[in-house]
Amino acid sequence: MSADSTHRFGNSSAAQQQFLSLFLRSEQEIFRYVAALVPNTTDAEDIVQQTALALWEKFDAYDPALPFTPWACRFARNKAHQWIERRQRWQALLALGLAEELAQRRQELQPEFELRLKHLEGCLGKLPQGQRSLVEGYYYERAGIETLAERSGRTAAATYKMLQRIRHTLQLCVEGQARPEVP
Amino acid sequence: MTLSFPSPEFDDAVAAVCHGSATEAEMRALNVLLRSDPSARDEYLMRVELHTRLASDRDLFSQAADAAAGCRLPGISPDDRRNIFSLNPAVPATRRKLVQALALAACLMFLAGGVWTLWFRRSATRNGATSSAVAMLTRAVDARWGGKSAPLRVGSALGPGWLRLESGLAQVVFYSGARLVIEGPAELRLVSPHEAICPIGRLLAEVPEPARGFRLGTDHVNVVDLGTSFAIDASHGRTEVHVFKGKVELLPGTRARQSLSESEAAVVQGNAPPRLMAASAAAFTSMFEFQQRSLASAAFRYEQWQFANAQINQDPSLVVHLDFENLSGTDWTLRNAAEKNRSVQSATMVGCVRAEGRWREKQALEFQSVNDRARMAVPGDFDALTLSAWVCVKGLDRKFNSLFMCDGFEPGTIHWLIRNDGVLGLTVVGPGPGKFQILASPPVLTLDELGRWLHLAVVLDGRSRQVVHYVNGDPVSRQALKLGPPFRLGSAELGNWNPRTGPDPTPFLIRNLSGSFDEFRLFSRALSDAEVRELYAKGKP
Repeated sequence: MSADSTHRFGNSSAAQQQFLSLFLRSEQEIFRYVAALVPNTTDAEDIVQQTALALWEKFDAYDPALPFTPWACRFARNKAHQWIERRQRWQALLALGLAEELAQRRQELQPEFELRLKHLEGCLGKLPQGQRSLVEGYYYERAGIETLAERSGRTAAATYKMLQRIRHTLQLCVEGQARPEVP
Repeated sequence: MTLSFPSPEFDDAVAAVCHGSATEAEMRALNVLLRSDPSARDEYLMRVELHTRLASDRDLFSQAADAAAGCRLPGISPDDRRNIFSLNPAVPATRRKLVQALALAACLMFLAGGVWTLWFRRSATRNGATSSAVAMLTRAVDARWGGKSAPLRVGSALGPGWLRLESGLAQVVFYSGARLVIEGPAELRLVSPHEAICPIGRLLAEVPEPARGFRLGTDHVNVVDLGTSFAIDASHGRTEVHVFKGKVELLPGTRARQSLSESEAAVVQGNAPPRLMAASAAAFTSMFEFQQRSLASAAFRYEQWQFANAQINQDPSLVVHLDFENLSGTDWTLRNAAEKNRSVQSATMVGCVRAEGRWREKQALEFQSVNDRARMAVPGDFDALTLSAWVCVKGLDRKFNSLFMCDGFEPGTIHWLIRNDGVLGLTVVGPGPGKFQILASPPVLTLDELGRWLHLAVVLDGRSRQVVHYVNGDPVSRQALKLGPPFRLGSAELGNWNPRTGPDPTPFLIRNLSGSFDEFRLFSRALSDAEVRELYAKGKP
């Protein structure tokens, strides 16, 4: 962080407040944008964190007349690319233009996703208790896989498999809900 | 390594990417597949999006957050609550990290304050939207209510919070079944269906078996009920507890618990040990009288309903009358009380639990789980039908909450339901595939009506081709019917639906009701407005 930004940070709590309120409002969107490229939660969060710092450094250049999220997502895109470049595995996944294609297609599919995922909360409510607590543990509490495995008496591999199955159940459920139904 | 789509290997690879455990070979194979197969790419994006939502939308787990906050609440004063919320660990990891990063970068720890405030505001809004009633105001005499709240009327659902009765008497029935008569001036804070706090005032509590464990707190003592009738006289300086029936347990501040039996009383003052004395019913005469009056008037209404039933059961057009009286724990059969028409002998309950009906003497059948239902088979063809039910709806959990639904979508059958937006609906299925008409009322059931006994009726008249929905005896919608008789019912269910679509019904077909029925009637003719109004008037609690 530059000396200039440290100076501004120290003196202008109004800018801080404005930045934080804009950022927090867009944070989920930015996270989802990044996670479409790097779905692993911990890695995606690291990228979002680096994005936040970059945004704050360049907050002077932000034009308040324009929407914040697209502006922020451009930074997120750069940060994600920098992050991926340093990691061979992720490069293998996103090479040869796939990163751009995924980001583009995700935008096109957004309305369809919204239509389905608005049922997610309802579908979560239908999960049996054991499955629900596993989902809560993994996604909400952010407990590690070993902790969750220990809690349920499964192996770590079986816990991963269980999470995969639960997501499959949820996907079937939201897709079923999105179809119109005769009362 | 190569991947095809769809395949279990593809499923595993996508999951591994989400979990961060995919190998380089898997990632390379996915890259090749996703670039060449658009349907695999779209499916990949959908799965990742679902995973990402779970990881980022904290509101999805509002129940978990509420449970985490809720389980710490008992025994903590309202002032402490704020601290609990702000210490709640339910802050996303990203946000925690962001706060750390920004604060560290600029050495400005106070930034965190702004974030906490924002987070607190968010969770406060959410908790407000999801809070639900815990009790109901069932009776009031000369009651004057204090505070800024809107005037309370009898039948109002009461959410967690303060009730300030300046003068008069009022009865509050908790959803657990515990009943409190309070005498003004009194302050009562409703905490949950199982707990209330009364720092000042006099009250008489009656706790039936299912509500055992009901807690009542004052400034000095917590009283845990063990199935009884007891009274409390609380002021800021002292609390008196009188037990008239059964037993309670006293938890005075830091002291050891102590039980108090029938005819015993205790005074708790400051830190001194509870002083025992004899219970005095005379000190609470006004409340006993109030309670008896209200019981007497309820008993009168119940008798009036029984008397009216004897007449209605003689109606030759009455095909089914389930009154849910004489339910036993071992018998799964519900007797049809209609006397002139015996085409339906009985209905069968599957699951369900017994509950209290409109009056304390009256039984009801409560539907809670997705399996609960009461099944019956109604033979014959009908030109017209009237369905009437007394129901107490606990929540509109499903998109379609079944009142009475014929199995599947057979020609001539009907589905009577409450939609999750409070609309009453009757779906009439026509003769051809895909032919049906939905006759829906405007949204008539609001949150206010939940937890109260309601009379719902619908008249399906094939001759005059109209459908009328009624709530508490009043027509709420009247619509033209395009599909003609005959109507057939066949196998049908109260409180649930059997979709008959094969062995593996997908989750969206679940339409169980959350609530109780204490009466159901089916007539083979169209009742007039006046007749429906009379059904309501003769049965209103």
